[in-house]
Amino acid sequence: MTQPSSQFDNDGLLAWLLEDQQQLTAVEEFSQQHAVDGLPSQAKYYQKLMPASPPGEGEQYAFEVNLDACSGCKACVVACHSLNGLDENETWRDVGLLVGGTTSNPVMQHVTTACHHCIEPACMIACPVDAYEKNPETGIVRHLDDQCFGCQYCTLACPYDVPKYHSGKGIVRKCDMCADRLAVGEAPACVQSCPHEAIAIQIVSIDEVKENAEVDPFLPAAPDPVITYPTTIFKTNRVLPRNTLPADYRSINPQHPHWPLIIMLVLTQLSVGAFAVGHFLTTSFDGAFVEAFQPVQATLALALGLMALGASTLHLGRPQYAFRAVIGLRHSWLSREIVAFGLFAGAASSYAASIWLFGGTAGITQTLGWSVLGTGGLGLFCSAMIYVFTQREFWNLNRTLTRFVLTAVVLGLATSWLALILVSFTLDSNLLSHQQLVGRQFAFWLIVMTAIKLIWEGGIFLHVMNRRNSPLRQTATLMTGPLANFTIARNALGLLGGIVMPAFLLKSASLATPLATVELKNLIMVGMLFIACLIGEFLERYLFFAAVATPRMPGGPRP
Amino acid sequence: MINEILHAKTGPLTRELLREPGEFGLGQLPVVTKPDATTNMVCGYCSTGCGLTIHLKDGEAVNLSPTTEYPVNLGMACPKGWEALSVLDASDRGVTPLLKNERGQFEPVSWNHAMEEFTGRFKSIQKEHGDHSVAFISTGQMVSEEMAYLGALTKFGMGMLHGDGNTRQCMATAVVAYKQAFGFDAPPYTYADFEESDVIVLMGSNICIAHPIMWERVMRNPYSPEIVVIDPRMTETAMNATQHLAAFPKSDQTLLYGIAKTLIERNWIDEDFVRDHTSGFDEFRNFVAEFPLERVSTETGLSIEQIERFAETIHKGQRVSFWWTMGVNQSYQGVRTAQAIINLALMTGNIGRPGTGANSITGQCNAMGSRLFSNTTNLLGGHDFPNPAHRSKVANIMEIDEATIPTENSWAYHEIMEGILKGKIKGLWVICTNTAHSWINQNVAREILDRLDFLVVQDMYHSTETAKMANLTLPAAGWGEKEGTFINSERRFGLVKKVRKAPGEALSDFNIFRLIAHHWGCSEMFKKWTSPEAVFQSLKEFTRDMPCDISGIESYQHLDSEGGIQWPFPEGAISTSEQETNPLGKERRLFVDGKFYHADERAKFLFEEPKPLTEKTSNQFPFILLTGRGTASQWHTQTRTSKSPVLKKLYPQSPFVEINPADAQRCSITANQKVIISSQRGKMIATAFLTHNVQPGQVFIPMHYEATNQLTDAVFDPYSKQPSYKACAVAIKRL
Repeated sequence: MTQPSSQFDNDGLLAWLLEDQQQLTAVEEFSQQHAVDGLPSQAKYYQKLMPASPPGEGEQYAFEVNLDACSGCKACVVACHSLNGLDENETWRDVGLLVGGTTSNPVMQHVTTACHHCIEPACMIACPVDAYEKNPETGIVRHLDDQCFGCQYCTLACPYDVPKYHSGKGIVRKCDMCADRLAVGEAPACVQSCPHEAIAIQIVSIDEVKENAEVDPFLPAAPDPVITYPTTIFKTNRVLPRNTLPADYRSINPQHPHWPLIIMLVLTQLSVGAFAVGHFLTTSFDGAFVEAFQPVQATLALALGLMALGASTLHLGRPQYAFRAVIGLRHSWLSREIVAFGLFAGAASSYAASIWLFGGTAGITQTLGWSVLGTGGLGLFCSAMIYVFTQREFWNLNRTLTRFVLTAVVLGLATSWLALILVSFTLDSNLLSHQQLVGRQFAFWLIVMTAIKLIWEGGIFLHVMNRRNSPLRQTATLMTGPLANFTIARNALGLLGGIVMPAFLLKSASLATPLATVELKNLIMVGMLFIACLIGEFLERYLFFAAVATPRMPGGPRP
Repeated sequence: MINEILHAKTGPLTRELLREPGEFGLGQLPVVTKPDATTNMVCGYCSTGCGLTIHLKDGEAVNLSPTTEYPVNLGMACPKGWEALSVLDASDRGVTPLLKNERGQFEPVSWNHAMEEFTGRFKSIQKEHGDHSVAFISTGQMVSEEMAYLGALTKFGMGMLHGDGNTRQCMATAVVAYKQAFGFDAPPYTYADFEESDVIVLMGSNICIAHPIMWERVMRNPYSPEIVVIDPRMTETAMNATQHLAAFPKSDQTLLYGIAKTLIERNWIDEDFVRDHTSGFDEFRNFVAEFPLERVSTETGLSIEQIERFAETIHKGQRVSFWWTMGVNQSYQGVRTAQAIINLALMTGNIGRPGTGANSITGQCNAMGSRLFSNTTNLLGGHDFPNPAHRSKVANIMEIDEATIPTENSWAYHEIMEGILKGKIKGLWVICTNTAHSWINQNVAREILDRLDFLVVQDMYHSTETAKMANLTLPAAGWGEKEGTFINSERRFGLVKKVRKAPGEALSDFNIFRLIAHHWGCSEMFKKWTSPEAVFQSLKEFTRDMPCDISGIESYQHLDSEGGIQWPFPEGAISTSEQETNPLGKERRLFVDGKFYHADERAKFLFEEPKPLTEKTSNQFPFILLTGRGTASQWHTQTRTSKSPVLKKLYPQSPFVEINPADAQRCSITANQKVIISSQRGKMIATAFLTHNVQPGQVFIPMHYEATNQLTDAVFDPYSKQPSYKACAVAIKRL
């Protein structure tokens, strides 16, 4: 541009300057670098960080981190972001910090980590749609972005917090070791960009990784390597003192609660429980009563169960691909759960229809009832296994299955009671005595089961006294600390809906008040206790997700 | 078809992350930011001055990667450099001038309106209170050409006398130390020295975090060097040292005198060098006699064995380099401490040879440019205002009336602040710095700024703590949106290019200065300065016959093709690329001939009795607060780095305080608990991070958190006027 003349007036000069500001001149003024054939220019630095040949039989690629060279600059994190075109705040690498030692000999060690391209990747095994594949030659665990439907189960299954959910795109993405760079002899972005050459690509023997996992602690306070057999090699000549721990070892943060999953789990369990209560009633009560009671009960249970399955699709980033969920049946507990609950939905619908058409005591209804129980029980078991698979202590088989079954029982009773009260408006007076008898039984068992559940849940608080900062102590600390309000509300609602209100009704019913006058009051009371129990269970499940201690690689200080 | 729906191995989501050969020697790159051209420029954060290859698409930057062949960084960059472009897109960029109305709210105004306010208000203040009642605070973050324009505009055109830069907060100590010792502000080294040394001494410098790319150079040293780190805290750098001397805060000067005495006693000095090239050694010898090992051990808290081992390490080293940063500079006795380092280099002859030197590592990207061309402490080109010959030289080059050049020196930053307090400064123009966050003893600093009649803040972002206090903000283009040169720590000129369009009506500082000159009515003085490169031609003339002579650099093109050029580069100097094709051959150091810039060509030994801590701990404030860099992803007051979502993931978002577990136990503080840290001046809340990295009795808080400077104590080095950020007394208790 020509220069502004000194004769310019205010507006003329301003216009010229604003125009000048928008001119990009770098390309014209400075000689561009010419296109270069052959290896990229950075190759001269990274070539020694790459294996000479591809992996052979029984081998695969792995990251090798030289801890002695990692100074914690975190260039690898940002270079990976930039050279892989990741979204604004997306990163596939993390740098954590280990601290320990004594005041006279303190130790700090930064640790760069990414996907460990495990021998037995939990993400891949967990995935219900087969959106992960492990390359048989290179061992690289690659995520197929277009196959993913955003269930995020892999984010729970990976012990290293590697797959990251991208809510905008509705899918998970993760490190692929820059597979296509490796394929042409280029180094992954992190390897290229580490100023201290701390990250290299190595070839590891699969057997050796497994053998090492048996004895090798991997890194202090890192998840047990036998879960997935991570391949990353952390090498150091330093001797890390025994008290070396991650800088975030003592920080506890509530986890994502996954609300659709909370609703889905609680309501499916309610549905299974209600069907079970209804089914067993037919065998032990008067036929006429059953015929009157069952249609309402089954419809209520079915409606809430279908609502639960609907809620579960809300958890998907791309629900239009929900049909893919069955693909992983052979290995994914999530696929199995979806299939089991799909069958349950079919069985429960047929059962409800059969009740309306043929009556609750009909033989076909009875048979269908058993199939509802079978599929529902299977679904509930698969639900539990989804969490058991993650190998988090708070989610182990015993704790998860007990929790889910007790929820089914408590809410099954509460739902059935509600159905009973609704039915009472239509009953003949000779059946009302039955109704009252059953109601008293519901009240009694609801009190007992709620008490058992609340006491059993409260057992977690014993772990506050653990000396070690164990996962269960972290859970207990979260529930008594940052999540205390949820804990209090959960127990208050459980007590109210599952114990205080049923006890009150039990007592008032024993006073033998004329029934007709208390029906509406009963309906309100039971409706309220049902809601209290239900919300109490939602909160219990919120805590199940939010208070779990997640395994992870060492992190930095986390105020 | 069905298989594709069931098993989608490719598709639009997969394509988003596709990588393709990027060409230009870059290897595979994301398809979305595949360049159609590239160009190289230097980074705009720290003084390392890394070369970045900008990936261009239709002339505009879309991505970047470190330049493989640049002699500074050799293909590497720290997180800030990698993310340099993304912070330009922040939503709080200034896009129009903002004027504060009577209700204290900012309103967008036109540039013409802003200029009327600017000139109207400042001229009326000057009319009422005298020309010197308006001052400016400059920066180490702008290109040299803009610094020169600003310095000339304010002092020659607008009649101001007082102006200083934020470089007062980072480099002033090194400047004065060098000037007094060598006769000119001349860091003697080249980065290749990191690779050549067999002993590397780092003082008050956590270069792993503050200058990661310099640490890259240390890591490339093939001689398995002995690395001695002197720092009260166990930093990343200390972790990688072979000797970590955790001396008591501010006892380093005593330690260095003790080392000097030990070297002299054991006759471990280079007598020839001392005799031929230095002055004042005998006095120094007598002075350090008062520093026996026992005293040094008591005052530093180090064992006699540690001190002796350090002295022996220096003696045994063939090529010993001494490096220092803010731990030395930001001290009430920084100048003498820096000179104590210089003294060690001089007495052992460790200067002017590869792998040696008493080397100050600079802070900001253009701190050195500020030292030479900001026209604040020095007259343009490293000259002196009181010197008539210097004034005449500058006036001739600029073709202006010599009488417009002030004949006396400016006040330093803290004197300007005091001037505001005393009512002598009524108007202030702050350019490209964030006083309300970064100045020491922040509560008082803000009260001072509040007293101004008119405060103008010129910045990329209208959201800085200082901008929020302004009466008028001017939106500036940033690095990458304008042209000019930076000078890095090793005296290397590097080029900044315009590869992005500035948002809205933001203008480069250069263009803002032109606009102001026009509205002020003094544009005639700057008629030669029609472009940054035209100013650069004047800068060359200013340096002619000075130690920093760059008259041999032809043009921006020349700088670009050479990959940066170190000063001095006088006319007639052989192009460095002709000397050597190896990038290391492009690195040159000073004092190879042992000649210094004093009239007698000798370097001076300078020394003084060390002073105790300016604020002693007490029962009420029993801890010493150390401050410093948090992570490599954070820069100063974070006006830029906090705008990158990726960088933000790399450091704790809320303040934390490092405290020794023993102290924590004494104060009943447990890990991750919220605590209140208070000093006589203010208080802040932070999360306790229990670590043995800090010694008992000391705590550490990163400087990037806004509240940190509420605690610090406004004391200054008497020679450099640099604030002493690093040590004050605080109390800590659980919230």
